[in-house]
Amino acid sequence: MSKLTREDLETIATQPYVDPLEWIRVQLDTGGIAAGAETAFSALANARNERHLSFSLLRAGSVGYSFADPVVEVQSAGMPRIHYGCVTPEVAEAILDQHMAGHRLLEDHVIATRARSMELTAPVTHVLVCDTGPEASSKTQFFQFSFNEELKRRGLADRVQVARALDIGIYNQGAVVQLLPSAVTYVNVLAPDVARIVAESVENGKVLDDLLCKKPDKQVRIALRHCGNVDPGRLDDYLRRVGGYQALRHSLFDLTPEQVIAEMKASLLRGRGGAGFPTWMKWQLTRAQAAPQHYVICNGDEGDPGAFMDRSVLESDPHAVLEGMIIAGYAMGASKGYFYIRAEYPKAVERIDKAIQEAREQGLLGEKILGSDFSFDAKIRLGAGAFVCGEETALIASIEGKRGSPSPRPPYPSVRGLWGMPTAINNVETLACVPAILAKGGAWFSSFGTATSKGTKVFAVTGKVRNAQLVEVPMGTTLREIIYDICGGVLDDKEIKAVQTGGPSGGVIPVQHLDTPVSYESLQQLGSIMGSGGMLVMDKTDSMVEVAKFYLKFCVDESCGKCAPCRIGGYQLLQILDKISRGRGNADDIALIRRICLSMQRASLCGLGQTASNPVLSTLRYFNEEYQAFIAGGPAYARKMSRAATGGAPAAPTAPPRSATPPAIPAVSMGAEL
Amino acid sequence: MKSAAHESVPGAGHRPIEFARQDEGSLLDLLQDLEKRHGFVPRDVSDEIARVLEVKLERIRRIQGKLESTTRRDVQQHVERWRAEEGNLIMILHAIQNQYGYVPREVAMELSRELGVKLARIYEVITFYHYFKLQPPGAHNITVCNGTACYLKGSTDLLGETRTQLGIAEGQTTTDRQFHFEVVRCIGCCGMAPAMVVDGKTCGHVKATDIAGFISTIKAQKGATK
Repeated sequence: MSKLTREDLETIATQPYVDPLEWIRVQLDTGGIAAGAETAFSALANARNERHLSFSLLRAGSVGYSFADPVVEVQSAGMPRIHYGCVTPEVAEAILDQHMAGHRLLEDHVIATRARSMELTAPVTHVLVCDTGPEASSKTQFFQFSFNEELKRRGLADRVQVARALDIGIYNQGAVVQLLPSAVTYVNVLAPDVARIVAESVENGKVLDDLLCKKPDKQVRIALRHCGNVDPGRLDDYLRRVGGYQALRHSLFDLTPEQVIAEMKASLLRGRGGAGFPTWMKWQLTRAQAAPQHYVICNGDEGDPGAFMDRSVLESDPHAVLEGMIIAGYAMGASKGYFYIRAEYPKAVERIDKAIQEAREQGLLGEKILGSDFSFDAKIRLGAGAFVCGEETALIASIEGKRGSPSPRPPYPSVRGLWGMPTAINNVETLACVPAILAKGGAWFSSFGTATSKGTKVFAVTGKVRNAQLVEVPMGTTLREIIYDICGGVLDDKEIKAVQTGGPSGGVIPVQHLDTPVSYESLQQLGSIMGSGGMLVMDKTDSMVEVAKFYLKFCVDESCGKCAPCRIGGYQLLQILDKISRGRGNADDIALIRRICLSMQRASLCGLGQTASNPVLSTLRYFNEEYQAFIAGGPAYARKMSRAATGGAPAAPTAPPRSATPPAIPAVSMGAEL
Repeated sequence: MKSAAHESVPGAGHRPIEFARQDEGSLLDLLQDLEKRHGFVPRDVSDEIARVLEVKLERIRRIQGKLESTTRRDVQQHVERWRAEEGNLIMILHAIQNQYGYVPREVAMELSRELGVKLARIYEVITFYHYFKLQPPGAHNITVCNGTACYLKGSTDLLGETRTQLGIAEGQTTTDRQFHFEVVRCIGCCGMAPAMVVDGKTCGHVKATDIAGFISTIKAQKGATK
């Protein structure tokens, strides 16, 4: 295959991409495949061959709707582009029959588009209804029925179809109606409004201003910009469909390395791995070191349990990360890069491997990239299931083929890193943002976000949340907006208790702080951290002592044992928490916990030990009464107290059941510690 | 077994074919029996047994040699693939584990010779990382995800139920080597928590009551293939 040159890329940039008229795109990422995306794909492929249909069957990564996996996107002539969720092989068949052939939307499987329009640009052909208030399912059917009746009355029933949506992206706003193909969305629709919508909007093409949803979607997709939009296994798709590697061309031929770093400085992008060190500064420091070799490492060792942002980006858009890495290499004068990816993510490894191979074949990696003087090559190194390897120095040791023990800093990796050479370690998400920043400018990127935290951040929202999914929001969006407006609130309409961010190194944020805008600093003030982006929602039934114990157990298992504060402190802390959670704790334990936490924070060698006590400290900070309840009356009593608090009433003044507690426990007044 | 050996050994004048057919255990029984009866082992019997054993030993050596050369060839192949790369040990161990399902001791020893790295250092790496195993896996693997999302949605119940059903703890294999039970940190399918992986197939939204079904399905399949 001939190698691409600068001119080739310039030609591609000027040619508009022509999408095939009809296609079905199946989102094949690990989550989707686990839910059966491959069976859906083969069902579609078989049906296409059997019936000699002409549509293109495409593969893509995930757009992030994990709650509705497997997801399929359909483009058909005369129809709006539609995402279908929960696509079993039967649904896949139905898509071909109803959607492609019959031009009718499937009931209960449509995931409505988040791009809402303010005006009707085309005649309405389909109406999506979804009731988002309480008792949703029955009312949705009622609205569908009344729309159908109204359309029949006006003789429009054969022109406009009304379908129930699986998810419409707006929550707790009563009945929501979306008019396709323009995607004008009405909220809080009441039964009398149905006639108006049909008369004004459907028949006459006028927008009803009082019902219109004027709030645009809160998500802004930069790191996830291509996820679900591009075939991760085809370089050609990345080059032509989404204008890939144009940022690389721009950097190599129009900018000097210093200018690339200046652009990064203007963007004020900070490391998305959690610590938030400015990316440009890391690159600058690495560049400034005189050495025969510099290295770039992409940290894809996403060890946080319950987080899957990096996996999704690597699986859905591997070339964007690779492009970011090559640009980083150019900026700091490195000619070698390593992807360090968990071995538990075989799909991500496979796709990055394919991306590297294709890029090498086409001259985007290797000697004299695109005919410039810059040479760069990338390789994959597999992690092997050690959480501590997410820490820079341990990660470097692991790439060197050793056990992943951290070493003291300074010297920082930017001075002495991989094999003693200056090394910059960037998170997957950070690198995925880089091409977008260089294509659109640093100023554009820094127009999102707060004063100190710029741009957007990807979160994997899971736990007791209605729609577990990937979201990317500008910094400064509040936790409440993320959980309630984007993800639909708590599962089964329970009451939210806390949100956990930052995984085992983070902390919990209680319900009273839900309106905090998300930024590195604000989360730190609350005793948590931004972390890599795992966000776990917990409801009233979750015991905070158990959650703290869960995270601590994780860190104790993962402690490499090199330094005593982490090895011994963590173990002792776990013993005490275990004792408390079994109802055998005593009042002195809390003070002891605080002392051990402090010594671990101060004296541990690396981030794992320094932050291992964070979940314990933050639960203690906000949910001290729960610890006290465990100490006073054991787990059953603590559950009861927690339930009592659900009703909003103060904790029931019942005495702890003495019979259930060991006699050594001193009486603790419940109110005293609150 | 014992009685059969007795009948075939009336005292003296054994045909060599009889010894060659005996396994080591019954040969030992036979010798003890002779000793008890006669107070000594007749010379012709002991010579014959020694000859038979010599033949058996030679066969075992040949099998061993075959196995070793296969191991050596495998290890050499993996090492060749990664020879030029720096810090290749972990990648080679990954290749070995992919091939065998675990890292066998003799392979690790061979690797140590081939790479010129001390065996202790190889074991240091293997035992540090959770991913590398020193025991062969079971025929069927049941993995329960204990990531935070799964934990919040009840993976503790799944763990307890699997423990009861299989009668083993996490990280163990049943005595018949049929089931291996593992707990993992996160398989990245948080959208369908709680999740389990049964023989490579991911199952989402699992309830504790489903587990008995998974296990009996596997057992039934085995019965069908037999």
